[in-house]
Amino acid sequence: MKELLKELCLADGVSGDESAVRELIISRIKDVCEYSVDNLGSIICFKKGKKAPAKKLMICAHMDEVGFIITYIRPDGTLSFGNVGGIDPSVVIGRQVKVGKEHISGVVGSTAVHNLSREQREKAPKTDSLYIDIGAADRAEAEKYVSLGDCAYFDSEFTELGGSRIKSKALDDRAGCAIMIELMHEELEYDTYFVFNVQEEIGLRGATASAYSVAPDYAIVLETTTAADIDGAAGAKKVCEVGRGPVVSFMDRHTIYDKELYRLAFDIAEEQSFPCQTKTMIAGGNDAGAVHISGRGVRTMAVSLPCRYLHSPSCVIDTADLENSYKLVKTLIGRIHEI
Amino acid sequence: MDIKKTVIALAEAGGASGSEECAAELALSMLREYCPDAEIINGNVIGHFGAHKEGLPLLVLDAHIDQIGFVVTYITDEGFVKVGNIGGIDRRLLPAQPVVIHGKRDIKGVICSVPPHLTNGGSEVLEIEDAAIDTGMTKAELEEVIGAGDSITFDVKCRDLIGRRITGGALDDRCGVASILYALELLGDKPLAYNAAVIFSTQEEVGERGAKIGAFEVDPDIALAVDVSFAYAIGEDESKCGYLGKGPMIGVSPSLSREISDKLFTAAKNADIPCQTEVMSGLTSTNADRYSVNRCGAKACTVSIPLRNMHTPVEVIDLEDVELTAKLLAEFIREG
Repeated sequence: MKELLKELCLADGVSGDESAVRELIISRIKDVCEYSVDNLGSIICFKKGKKAPAKKLMICAHMDEVGFIITYIRPDGTLSFGNVGGIDPSVVIGRQVKVGKEHISGVVGSTAVHNLSREQREKAPKTDSLYIDIGAADRAEAEKYVSLGDCAYFDSEFTELGGSRIKSKALDDRAGCAIMIELMHEELEYDTYFVFNVQEEIGLRGATASAYSVAPDYAIVLETTTAADIDGAAGAKKVCEVGRGPVVSFMDRHTIYDKELYRLAFDIAEEQSFPCQTKTMIAGGNDAGAVHISGRGVRTMAVSLPCRYLHSPSCVIDTADLENSYKLVKTLIGRIHEI
Repeated sequence: MDIKKTVIALAEAGGASGSEECAAELALSMLREYCPDAEIINGNVIGHFGAHKEGLPLLVLDAHIDQIGFVVTYITDEGFVKVGNIGGIDRRLLPAQPVVIHGKRDIKGVICSVPPHLTNGGSEVLEIEDAAIDTGMTKAELEEVIGAGDSITFDVKCRDLIGRRITGGALDDRCGVASILYALELLGDKPLAYNAAVIFSTQEEVGERGAKIGAFEVDPDIALAVDVSFAYAIGEDESKCGYLGKGPMIGVSPSLSREISDKLFTAAKNADIPCQTEVMSGLTSTNADRYSVNRCGAKACTVSIPLRNMHTPVEVIDLEDVELTAKLLAEFIREG
């Protein structure tokens, strides 16, 4: 799954501009399911299982990633941009990016530290003070390479850290996409819908439409979620921990999750002796927020990979969590219909 | 010599102040092409160029070989690596920044980024004491390969921008090293107005310490510190900057030799090399400050390559400036 994940993470697909990722995903699943692409660009797949269940199960993950959109080309040839999705400007300043259809290189410039006042050095940057420098001498030169509305992407290596961890951009939520693609190549217990959603990062937009189309009875949202188990963090403030298994939430800012499904996940983890954890803070949200109130309501759960430095060019996950999430979801496909 | 390849090879070699070996060895191998006697003396790469002629003043071309970075200070029980800074670091851009720890082998890591729920909104900037590196390894695993005192640099590869501009880390001052090498290539075996030596000096970023002992070792009459200086960009004070692509910035300052500054301007004019004037009002914060007061004093000047985003992993230069700087140095040194 690591090679697949690498390919998915290195593809660029900011919300609303997911076509490269969509094409990559389709190339990987076209022979193992029936699929269609909806009006927003989400991929809705139907995978035959051994049995046709009485109720419909939908598993989904989002294919978009956070990034930037070019809003203005200044006379000096630098580019103003807006964030697409929630991004802390501290992980944007001083980074390499790729810009536009041609993926030209650029950097997010930063005034030399020598020339900052004491006060400026201690103040976190704001997005509207940042700009992208592609090396253009002026606006006319920049316009040869970039158009307004082009997206820009983090330029980040996919790197293995230590024995089992991965650092990359876009692990949120290509990790979920990778798990789905792997599952679709397995023989599954029941017929299952798999949906690769667009536009999660700008407000669960793709999922709103695709959940309506599929109209499932049950949904499993595959995601990544903030792990804050970093140096100096203790207790509940860690939220969840990398390497301690899939995260199954009882509640976040958008969803109060189905209690039976929540318990089923922990039962499965216990039976199969792999770790499973929950979030110790009520924070964040994901496509479940749109899915669970779709139509007449959908019994929904979220299975997330704990991920450090979410929404940065250097997200970090543990491959053991990836494997265990895969196991959990595969088992859920067989057992969710018992509920 | 391919200027771009040389700059990139040098810029991607690690060499934080005090741990310059990797970059210095590479620079040494490059310098030996032109200065067969080149060697590393107390960390500095030192070589003599051309035949020694009795009676000519000795001129040193200096560029510093070190770069800013961090040093390992401690490994926590959870396996996070605590650090101190080497040189001037902009702490605003540290969160989630990839780094390499240079231990028994190189270990990749990421500087921990504190999520908003742990920072009460997140407008404050990380203190160095609170910075930690996440390597995905345990304390026991780390202790096998790294220890206190090991150096750390940003993990960044160079990239092409539009035209001849490139971005990368440590272009400060590896592009200066490259421009000196290219100047030697341009000089070939032409007769020189000076006896010439080259010093690629250590520890500039922590206070020009390598240049202090390098200057003593070589004892030049004239020294040109080939370094980088601020290129204008958004957020900079235009009146204190040069511009990318408009040629080397020749220093004028009370602490520099006006005679040498003037000769550099004349050389640029004679050879039709575009250049810029960089006026400073006292010390220059370059190695020139050390050469000028070495032993019984030397005539020093700065020749600077304009660079944006100094001391960040996204420094930007124009290779045109590196080439023009080399041409100016060669024009200055050759017998006129």
